[in-house]
Amino acid sequence: MPPRIRSSSHQPQQLLNYLESSPSFSLSPASALAPLHRPTPTTTATISPSPPPCSRRSFSATPAVQLTRMRRKFKDWCVNNALFREPSPDGSTNYVSRVISQSDWNKVSADMPFPNNPQFRSQPVLSEKAREMIWEAVMVKGMPLKAVSAQFHVDMRRVAAVVRMKEIEKKWERENKPMAYPYARAILGMLPRANFLQGEPPFEPINDIHVHSYTMQQLFVPTSESREFTRADAAKAFGDHILPPDDKMRIPELVAMERKIADGMEPRDAEREFIREARESEQAFAAKQQARLQAAEERRIRVDSGRGIEFRFEKINAEDVGPTGRSRRGVGWRYGVPFMDRKRGQVKIPTSVE
Amino acid sequence: MRQRRLLRFHGLKRPRVRQTWNKYNLFNLIQLRTPQLSFKTFFQQKWRAKSMTRGYHGEHIKEYQWERMFSRRPLSAVDMDPAYMARYDGSEQAAGRGSGLLPPPRTRGTKGEEEASRTKATPYMQMVFAPMERRLDIAIFRALFASSARQARQFVLHGAVTVNGKKMRHPGYLLNPGDLFQVDIERVMTATGKPKRSLPGQKTVSTTATEESAEAEEGDVKEATATIEDPGEAIDADATKEKHLATLNALKSRAQKIMGDKEHIRAKQKMSLRKFLRDVKTAMDTARKSKGEATSTAEMNEVEQELSDLLSELSITPTERKAEAKQAAIEQKEQEKLGGGLLTAEEREALQRLAREESLNPHDPSKPYATPWQPRDWMSPFAFIPRYLEVNQRICAAVYLRHPVARPGLCEVPTPFSPVLSQLAFNWYLRRR
Repeated sequence: MPPRIRSSSHQPQQLLNYLESSPSFSLSPASALAPLHRPTPTTTATISPSPPPCSRRSFSATPAVQLTRMRRKFKDWCVNNALFREPSPDGSTNYVSRVISQSDWNKVSADMPFPNNPQFRSQPVLSEKAREMIWEAVMVKGMPLKAVSAQFHVDMRRVAAVVRMKEIEKKWERENKPMAYPYARAILGMLPRANFLQGEPPFEPINDIHVHSYTMQQLFVPTSESREFTRADAAKAFGDHILPPDDKMRIPELVAMERKIADGMEPRDAEREFIREARESEQAFAAKQQARLQAAEERRIRVDSGRGIEFRFEKINAEDVGPTGRSRRGVGWRYGVPFMDRKRGQVKIPTSVE
Repeated sequence: MRQRRLLRFHGLKRPRVRQTWNKYNLFNLIQLRTPQLSFKTFFQQKWRAKSMTRGYHGEHIKEYQWERMFSRRPLSAVDMDPAYMARYDGSEQAAGRGSGLLPPPRTRGTKGEEEASRTKATPYMQMVFAPMERRLDIAIFRALFASSARQARQFVLHGAVTVNGKKMRHPGYLLNPGDLFQVDIERVMTATGKPKRSLPGQKTVSTTATEESAEAEEGDVKEATATIEDPGEAIDADATKEKHLATLNALKSRAQKIMGDKEHIRAKQKMSLRKFLRDVKTAMDTARKSKGEATSTAEMNEVEQELSDLLSELSITPTERKAEAKQAAIEQKEQEKLGGGLLTAEEREALQRLAREESLNPHDPSKPYATPWQPRDWMSPFAFIPRYLEVNQRICAAVYLRHPVARPGLCEVPTPFSPVLSQLAFNWYLRRR
């Protein structure tokens, strides 16, 4: 280790002045002590790029950090790749594919945030305008969710989520609550967006079905060549409880519409039929849910105590505890059945929030 | 659960890709390649793949916890075209000797691209860490509300996150389809915005580039030359000093007024106010003492700015805020009245637009982030939102629509690793050791 310069109290003031005005940042002893014997007169604050004498940290005895090769490479990279520092000014995405054209001998396309993983793409998100259109179709025009989903090619669950959050947003707007406008604007500027314009590809598959694990095996079912072996037969071959895809459609009314069109109905009429059917099915679903809630309410007896407390009584069946007395459906504390909730290793994170 | 502290979270020597928006991480992501594994044993290959992938996917989650979460049955989905479903019952696919007589028919809805994707393989192996995406903290990071998964976890622990309107304090809560989670807006803006100190106008210590420090130095030099060369400054130095003192006096009296408002003030606030008064006093003393020398106006302004910022942070009594807002509104109205006659219609419109933008993204020194808000540096390469989330950025809320699935040719789990590595990692977790 080279000898270090001690703290300033041991050094004459003159020496310190020389040291701080020397243009080199590294304080190796040879270069630092040179001016003591042969002072160079080219050091004034106005000419040299070194900090002036009045700056806060005029002198440091710490030797300059030695940049490792990797660190220097990183610093150079930071300078050469400054385009990633700010979002791209034209409102497009700014992924690493802008500087990498090939990774692991595969071509890197523009929508790949991870150059090594061609299976993950940054897919478009709904723009503010698109969300507003969805909200308007559902809440103002009163269209059924299924019809909105089919119209915009957006999954039904996403339509519901958009409307749900849009409602919160509108409520906050009415209440003058602060909202993250600059954040929303910046984020949507960095992401690929879908605006529901003419010529845009469909946003996402709306009628997809989950692949049941029973159907992932290869199966050899001998049948006669003349037999019509349909999807329903295939489902039965995989298992008795496996539903054919026709029964798993998220919007079965859409299939019915296509069937009508195939049978020769005018597409416009078929569409009208579709909207009517979708509305009816949704109303039926809502009515069913309403009836269930009402039935649950009727089973419950509410007693107002008059002190701001309401008692709710429900009928229970004492037999629900089961033969061992440990069934999950049993109500209340039961003699001799230990609670496990204070035992070590029991997970107490809630599994759902209503 | 106590968190493990990692000494080299973003290292250059042993690089790991992490779930953050850090620039070191970006560098490491660009450098990331699938390692040469052919000379290693199968165990070594799996080990390497596991350690690389786990460094990204929930490195803050303990291994035994993840092993319990792991599922060996990845979810997948296929799109069923209604037009095809209506026209065919599937028997044409089983015709002949069981594999169909003709290639699959084209229907009204199918496009060329879709048809190509139908033949693609479903990347099940990229779904290894799909159960991890269900965790609340990781979902918050994926919704771009936090700059790292660890920060998202902290948001949850600090009570800034609600699920379905109820405060949720468990970062390990597994979201159910349809759950709406919401993060405090201020936290999101702080996490994703530029830090207060690195604004280009402010002269402070910056963490990054040498060029910035060089710029700062240049600024200093210019200032020094200005003080020497400008002769006018020496003449009205006394006047500036008096003005400076007057401003400080005004600040002092305002602080004292706030101190007098005893009902609304808290003990902690009082302490900071006292400290503020002391600071003002020292500033005034230094200004008075420096009689002969001409202290630069820039320095004075800096002191004034600092102190006024401090005071505006301290004076958060609601009554004062309201009064200030009222005053500002009145002033704005007056200005509008005055300016209305002088500006053309276009100019007025432009001015109004600017004012609207300003009102949506105002300068506000009381915020913990740099205002007007701007996205933080090096963020945009990491900005994507996977399809299993639907996010509303304005209210900082998102809905977990469904579990991530694999589709033909596409996988919804964001993982930076190649299929080879993911497959090896999957194989690691398949075995029970």
